[in-house]
Amino acid sequence: MGLLAEGTALDWPDAKKKADQVREWGIKQLLEIWNKAKTKERDALLWGDEVEYLVVKYSKDEPKVLLSLRQADILTALAADEELSNQGGGVPAIQETQSQLSNPLPVFHPEFGRFMLEATPGKPWGIGFKELLGVEPDMKLRRKIAKEHMKSNEYPITLTTFPRLGVPGVFTDPYYPPSGSKLRSQFVPDEIANPHIRFPTLAANIRWRRGRKVQVNVPVFHDKNTPNPWKDPSVNYDLHNWPEDDDVRNGAAPDNFIHMDAMAFGMGSCCLQITFQAKNITEGRKMYDQLSPIGPIMLALTAATPIYKGFLADTDVRWNQISRAVDDRTKEELGEEPLKNSRWRIPKSRYASNSTYISTDNRLRPEYLDPDLIIDEDIKDKLMEGGMDDRLATHFAHLFIRDPIVIFNEDLEELDMSKADHFENIQSTNWQHMRFKPPPAGSDIGWRVEFRPMEIQITDFENAAFSVFMVLITRAILSFDLNFYIPIAKVDENMETAHARDAVLNKKFYFRKNPFPTRPLRGGGASGTSTPMGVSRPPTPTGPVEDEYALMSIDEVINGSRTEDNDFPGLIPIVESYLDSVNVDVQTRCELATYLDLIRRRASGELWTAARWIRDFVDHHPAYQHDSAVGDEVTKDLVGSVIDITDREQEGKGWKGLDVPDLEKLLGRFRRGCK
Amino acid sequence: MTRIVLSTGNIISGGPCIIRKPGIFRSNLEFTNSLRSNFVAAQEDYSAAASPTTNGTNGTNGHSDEHVNGNGISGHPRSATELWTEKDGDVIYIPRIDWSGAGLQEERSQYEITVKLFFLPHAPVEQRASYIEEALRLVKKELGVSVIDLLIASFPGISFEGDCEWEADKLNAKMGSEADEVATWAALETLHEQGTIQRLGIAEFGTQKLERFLSQIKTMPEVDQINLQNCCNVPPPLAQLAKEKGIELLTHSDCTDILPSGTLRELLGTGQLGAGVLSDDGSDKNGLKGDLTPQWVVKYTSFVKDRGVIENKGYFAGAELLA
Repeated sequence: MGLLAEGTALDWPDAKKKADQVREWGIKQLLEIWNKAKTKERDALLWGDEVEYLVVKYSKDEPKVLLSLRQADILTALAADEELSNQGGGVPAIQETQSQLSNPLPVFHPEFGRFMLEATPGKPWGIGFKELLGVEPDMKLRRKIAKEHMKSNEYPITLTTFPRLGVPGVFTDPYYPPSGSKLRSQFVPDEIANPHIRFPTLAANIRWRRGRKVQVNVPVFHDKNTPNPWKDPSVNYDLHNWPEDDDVRNGAAPDNFIHMDAMAFGMGSCCLQITFQAKNITEGRKMYDQLSPIGPIMLALTAATPIYKGFLADTDVRWNQISRAVDDRTKEELGEEPLKNSRWRIPKSRYASNSTYISTDNRLRPEYLDPDLIIDEDIKDKLMEGGMDDRLATHFAHLFIRDPIVIFNEDLEELDMSKADHFENIQSTNWQHMRFKPPPAGSDIGWRVEFRPMEIQITDFENAAFSVFMVLITRAILSFDLNFYIPIAKVDENMETAHARDAVLNKKFYFRKNPFPTRPLRGGGASGTSTPMGVSRPPTPTGPVEDEYALMSIDEVINGSRTEDNDFPGLIPIVESYLDSVNVDVQTRCELATYLDLIRRRASGELWTAARWIRDFVDHHPAYQHDSAVGDEVTKDLVGSVIDITDREQEGKGWKGLDVPDLEKLLGRFRRGCK
Repeated sequence: MTRIVLSTGNIISGGPCIIRKPGIFRSNLEFTNSLRSNFVAAQEDYSAAASPTTNGTNGTNGHSDEHVNGNGISGHPRSATELWTEKDGDVIYIPRIDWSGAGLQEERSQYEITVKLFFLPHAPVEQRASYIEEALRLVKKELGVSVIDLLIASFPGISFEGDCEWEADKLNAKMGSEADEVATWAALETLHEQGTIQRLGIAEFGTQKLERFLSQIKTMPEVDQINLQNCCNVPPPLAQLAKEKGIELLTHSDCTDILPSGTLRELLGTGQLGAGVLSDDGSDKNGLKGDLTPQWVVKYTSFVKDRGVIENKGYFAGAELLA
């Protein structure tokens, strides 16, 4: 995707007419890829992380911190940097980057929000344990390079959301008035989104398909001076620019909820996503399933989103807000009106937790699956006629219940079977918490799995820690042949649970009690047949599914459970046991230990999540009136502290003398740099 | 004289034995627990296979959902030892080894094969060459390979313990028997020269001990495995020496005395958690009797390098029974 236009994007009424064609061609492209790649074998573990930044305009002397809308200028500056591009870095959307270099510099990408930036390593990481130690310096380098291509008063920060996004008045630089034709938001201008035609079209067509604006309502946190019921004071009920301005008059903004009305409130959030390449399709499908139940745990553990539109929310994470911000379901699909024009009632937004398990693992019991899964039967038939197995065909037939949102007229002239554009059109606008990614057409890349639920953390140390932890847990899952299956409906429930304030400390999550495989049988001499280890296994015992899982705290899941009724070993001890079984040098193990330690302490509550730290920061700020409202002064100081922290991190000199409240609660003694 | 060969089978997907308990930095629990559970599993499998009542395809009927509880299947009589162990000349395999699952799943070049050979304290030093031979024979057969990428020798009586790492390094200097270590090393050097072992390593050598050792041997170790409570505190002289000599300092969490004879007796004995092979007090006429000396333990790992996946991990151990 370039920064320039790539064709004529269809408005929704036209796009809708072409939806079937896109799906049909998408399925053909999928089958083509699948047929070519289904026997692809022995791909190495390669993996990549994606870090997303907010770009803020901040100065100690200015009363307000603002979002900078200079994404395009910054990317252009990055692309123009010859030193960067000569060393493999740059902006792939604008230029050819030389990722074949041995140690390419990082690359940068546009994002939905015009105040956002994404950065990835110049080439994927491998699994050399020393290589894992390269992640944190690379993340720091990305931030440094990004900063160098900004104005001196602009900073890339890794807060998930900008606390003042959508408040009345000025919150961007430059300022644009809200209520544009694309977003029709009463809070944010159209210019908040990347101007590339794809993004405004995406936002406009989601709204158009839905028949009204998106409704992103987050429960407000009731502090001691917060009225009850609380009415979002920033909602304007007297606006008459667009038909959608009626939404709030029709009850879109209920009491006790912070009301937001545009895609930017969700897709403007920053996340930490990790993609793994699997050995083959079988391993990819297995990883997809096994990481799925870990998703909500990692969401709760990385919680970093307590403020929306200038108010403290009663939730700690971004997930549901993004889900609602791109929810294109019609009233019929939502079940608010009887089905007439829509094909199905659809229980979840296209941004939501997974609805399928896809592995061929015989430990996947039918009881784990969603009995009411909505699929397009015709598409499933076509995939199965093309040779795809039932389970994978079901997965894609589920993703393909969605309409393509952004269609370029030029792409519909001829079906190009060497591409995957129509398949990707549907696939990449299904934002589930895991994504199963077939190899891109015409590349040597293998089957991949993307882990998407984690929230971005304030420091690169934390982001590296969570990235590396996820890599190690996948290695442990594959080595120990672990089994984390629980019914997919329980994963959904966990995803909701993860939203609660301090879920990491106060909530319990469904998790499988015994993650270990049943032992393989040796060749019983009498029958003469033998069961070679690791190849096939005896049938899974079939006790009641409900006996397989229990409610556990995040601490129990991460650090192990010490109760009488279950002895779940804990993800950290599992990872440590994996490390005990491989050759790691002392220095590397020491560094990895600090990452595991951070996660261990976050889970036990010894250290705070970013959400908790931000809440505490607001609570203790003299300008905060304990009425849930987070004003300019508090936000400026919060962002200032975050900038100070990452500046210090860049210097590598530790936190000594840094005037940031409760920093040790967030980061403990990590990276104090006292040596 | 009878020789005993114990084996764990592949423990990598064998369940909880491999998971270390939080707060424990070094132990032999992985080894002893997985031995125990392999005994129980073998007792179940072979007695089921031999039982006339189970004529199913694999003898799996009826107990696939029962837990390994360290004490056989409740309600069943402990199976006759002959069923699940194997006598081959003067060697008894406990349990009987099923070689049908032996070998690697992918090409040899995909793997790094690491072997750690523990020489145990009460075994005669002059026998070590034969221990090496037997341990490697078993490992090579289990993994279906002819070459070991890295062999780490663990000598008895050495450890790296103390209140601080400096002190540990000092204490370490006086531990072990240098003459024995150098002599044993010569046998390993031969295998290295023959190409059977690509790289050699040692465990728990501190600065002084390593320095003296290096001055007496031909083939340099390429690895020194150390166990530190806080692995961030490598004594600087050791780090310096290792760097100079191109020796990698790797971590581990094994006990040096990984199989004390008391533990072995308990594992094989008739007690609550025992395998019932050894007749401790002579009450079982068919049980083995005599003095039991653990001689060596070997741990092996096959690691798929570019995927970071461990495919096989297990232990063999050798012991001598003198009637």
